[in-house]
Amino acid sequence: MKQNTTNKIRLGIFVSLGIAVFIVGIYFIGERQQLFRSTFHISGVFKDVAGLQAGSNVRFAGITVGTIENIDIVSDTSVRVEMVVDESTRKFIKKDAIASIGSEGLMGNKILIINPGPGLEKEIQNNDTIKTVQPINLDEVLLSLKSTIDNTSQITKDLSVITTDIQTGKGTIGRLLMDQSLANNFDSAIVNLKLGSAGLKNLMDDAKISFDQNWDSTFVNLRESSAGLKILLEKARKSWLLWGF
Amino acid sequence: MEKIILEHFQNRKQAEETVPKNIPEVISNTVVDKFFLEVYSLTIFTARFFKEVVKPPYEFNELAKQSFLIGYKSLSLVAITSFIIGLVLTVQSRPTLAKFGAESLLPVMVAISIIREIGPVITALIFAGKVGSGIGAELASMNVTEQIDAMQVSHTNPFKYLVVTRVLSATLMLPILVAFSDAVGLFGSYVAVNLKGNVTSYLFFSQIFQSLEFKDLFPAFIKTFFFGFAIGLIGCYKGYNSNKGTEGVGKAANSAVVFASLMVFIIDMIAVQITSLMQN
Repeated sequence: MKQNTTNKIRLGIFVSLGIAVFIVGIYFIGERQQLFRSTFHISGVFKDVAGLQAGSNVRFAGITVGTIENIDIVSDTSVRVEMVVDESTRKFIKKDAIASIGSEGLMGNKILIINPGPGLEKEIQNNDTIKTVQPINLDEVLLSLKSTIDNTSQITKDLSVITTDIQTGKGTIGRLLMDQSLANNFDSAIVNLKLGSAGLKNLMDDAKISFDQNWDSTFVNLRESSAGLKILLEKARKSWLLWGF
Repeated sequence: MEKIILEHFQNRKQAEETVPKNIPEVISNTVVDKFFLEVYSLTIFTARFFKEVVKPPYEFNELAKQSFLIGYKSLSLVAITSFIIGLVLTVQSRPTLAKFGAESLLPVMVAISIIREIGPVITALIFAGKVGSGIGAELASMNVTEQIDAMQVSHTNPFKYLVVTRVLSATLMLPILVAFSDAVGLFGSYVAVNLKGNVTSYLFFSQIFQSLEFKDLFPAFIKTFFFGFAIGLIGCYKGYNSNKGTEGVGKAANSAVVFASLMVFIIDMIAVQITSLMQN
């Protein structure tokens, strides 16, 4: 009988603890979804929510402050996103705050990010609608990327044609790079230039030797000529033919 | 005395009319026929369970005793298994996530795997192995030794006393075991994360609860009731309808485990389909 009672007590503890574990799990999951906290509701209207879902996180200044409660299509160009935000963050979120849609990392879920505006207005109220910024649409980015890829493809095609032309010796650059006769002419021009410069050098050497050899006699002749000229001028100065009148 | 014996035979006749025993052997030998007769027999058995479960008197003491034996006595086995599963799953998943530079997602990935699928299914399989075979063998040996007949003679409804209490205990205890299993499995994962890193328990568990949602927890929790019910019911059915003879005991225990494990996977597949349909 005593053993029976002990077993019943053990069973009671077992069941209580099991239920407690389950309730703790529910509490912490509910805590994330703001079930056990004071909250307020705000909304924003987007043209495209880019895959945002009910239950996604709402972040303000990088901190998770709430969750998306509901997403409704209002018209063919607008989607209303309603969010539940922790009451304690209300004093930091002003009416001019701007909501945008981002993602948690490269492969992460979509999240709603509330960015502070200029901060000139009062704090946000329950059921207010805040301004939104349209998210970057990945399809548009891909579309733009596609045209870039098309252009790149065209450029590579053109480059391929140009290199083929160069290889076949077409055009100025092609002839310059691929024509053998041009290279031969260039070689012979270089050879001629080399020979010409050698001849010019010889000529200059001969001229230098000749100049060195004739310099002295030229100078003596010049001196003698200048002395003769001096005498002649002296005689002329004294001549009556020039100064006798 | 004559009255008691007469009543016993009347009760037995009534029971045989309600639950046809050994029909497969009597009527047909083809596999398909046997299968459908088994399904029919199990359906009648299940219907009788629902009939008996609401009809007083209620065997609360036996229910508590069976819950203790089925639930409390399975806790250590389930806890050890879950701890190892949590630890191994984390260690095995780490290299793949590290390739993508996503090691920080390890707690979240392991938690969702454990809570949604691995915790309930592994616990149910362990439960089927321990409890399903135990119930099957116990009831089969009672059947062989004619204790069930004796109970009928002594004005005790054996179905209510033996079957209803065990099936109810299995149905109620498995969800509690799964709650423990999930908690211990997550602790095992925390230990594994800290084998090659340094993550505080606060960060680990806050990451987990940040990523979990009610839609992860509730479908997994609800399906454990069905797992427990199926395991208890099949164990009782196989034991209660076992062949008279010593080999019938082993056969009942064996087929109870095999059939219960199979049913766990079938129920799991149905539950996953229903959950995904509801979430879409």
